[in-house]
Amino acid sequence: MSERAPTLVLDRASVAYGDVPVLEELNGVVHEGEAVALIGPNGAGKSTFIKALLGLVPVVRGRIEVLGRPPAQARRDVAYVPQADTLDPDFPVSVEQVVMMGRYRRIGWLRRPSAGDRAEVADALERVGLAGRARDRFGTLSGGQRQRVLLARAIAAKPRMLLLDEPFNGVDAVSQHALLEAIGSLKAQGASVVVSTHDLAIAHLACDEVCLLNRHQFGFGPTGDVLTPERLRATYGGHALELRGDRVIVTQT
Amino acid sequence: MSWLDSTVHRALVEAVLVGALGGVVGVFVIARRLPFFTMALTHATFPGIVVAALLGVNLYLGGGLFGLLVVAAVLAFGRGRGQDFTTATGIALSGGFALGVVLVSSQDGFTKDLAAYTVGDVLAVGTGDLVATTAVAAGVLLVLALVGKELLLAAFDPVGAAALGLPLVLLDFALLAVVEVTVVATVPALGTILAVALIVGPAATARLLTDRLAPLFPLAAGIGIACALAGVWVSTQWNVATGASIALFVGLVFGAVFLGTAVRDRARRAVAVRA
Repeated sequence: MSERAPTLVLDRASVAYGDVPVLEELNGVVHEGEAVALIGPNGAGKSTFIKALLGLVPVVRGRIEVLGRPPAQARRDVAYVPQADTLDPDFPVSVEQVVMMGRYRRIGWLRRPSAGDRAEVADALERVGLAGRARDRFGTLSGGQRQRVLLARAIAAKPRMLLLDEPFNGVDAVSQHALLEAIGSLKAQGASVVVSTHDLAIAHLACDEVCLLNRHQFGFGPTGDVLTPERLRATYGGHALELRGDRVIVTQT
Repeated sequence: MSWLDSTVHRALVEAVLVGALGGVVGVFVIARRLPFFTMALTHATFPGIVVAALLGVNLYLGGGLFGLLVVAAVLAFGRGRGQDFTTATGIALSGGFALGVVLVSSQDGFTKDLAAYTVGDVLAVGTGDLVATTAVAAGVLLVLALVGKELLLAAFDPVGAAALGLPLVLLDFALLAVVEVTVVATVPALGTILAVALIVGPAATARLLTDRLAPLFPLAAGIGIACALAGVWVSTQWNVATGASIALFVGLVFGAVFLGTAVRDRARRAVAVRA
């Protein structure tokens, strides 16, 4: 893997909202085609971590480099996938209109989508298995399908780095499978993926690396090395329970 | 003699202009959930118009400048810690209206002027008002055509828009300024209190009729124009206040469509249950 270029570099980085530090002493490297899972309890700073990679929360100490640039200057090549249930389901917008939003940066100000943009939108919807729902209103889809639409929006942006905030929360098995497939194919094309999740099984399944977070970093490295009972107990404090010696379940996320 | 020399003809043209303008801008107001802000803006614009009248300067200029100050203040306070648009808007609403009333009450002829500023009179619009409304409508439609897709993305998914690197504060300001100039252009016809009816009502009614974005604009504009024309007609037939008649039509049409779509949805559900 050593010939692959690093896409994300964290070097003793701390991020803060105003004077309040949210995450401190972040260290690690992610390469092209790798996926890293952000794991930690609610309020651990996972969403803040993602916003820092977008340049929306400032780095107050140390350094974060995305695609070799400061985060705010890398946005052109980074796509963000929010949690579907944070978006208003009553908004009068169709599935294809949501996916087209991923093309806006390429379309530019003052201009309208071209036939090429529409082809990219159709292709992205195909890749998440929702080609037949293009004309439906976004809010009429299930939670899992809406999450897939938002992933399609990110795919349409042709990103080199993909940031997903809890994409598997409350998602049915079919949508979970479709999301994992699409993320896998983006990785195969060389994109890096950062995904926050509560689901340790998904982290094992989809991610090469894990970053354990709870205000501080409790580990960053290959999934098998980092997802150990000891480290999970340290990250989750009293909310980690041990099962049969070598497995841990998390009682509160 | 030109066709526009007739009071009624001028009123009809103004009605078409403010109806269409309010309808189209209203779609963005509803999408961004700004009806309450629009309400406050109409009230806060009021002192600007009064000051302009007292100083003898152009009413649009006075109202517009004061309104822009209010927009900037709401944006500044709305972004403060533990605040949001609603809090800042509530203060702007009551504060602006109170300032206007204090200014008007310091003058002679208090009641008559207050009525003119607060509920308007479309039958009193002059050719200058028509020119101003046309200019505002052209400018607003141009802005919306140029940055409409970015405004809608920012309304739908603000964090996603910021992640794309879109300047959210600038977009917010552009939309609030569009709403502001629309309010000022509508004031001569409907007054500061009733202007909100034509901006919120037709778009809300259109939203009941369609889930799609594209038809919302012509629908809202059409409903706005129809209500404005109906209001002018009623007020000339029975000699009642025009602005209030227009606002009443807006309310009636919304109520009728609301009931109609509610009945239709019930019927559809009943059919679905039986099937």
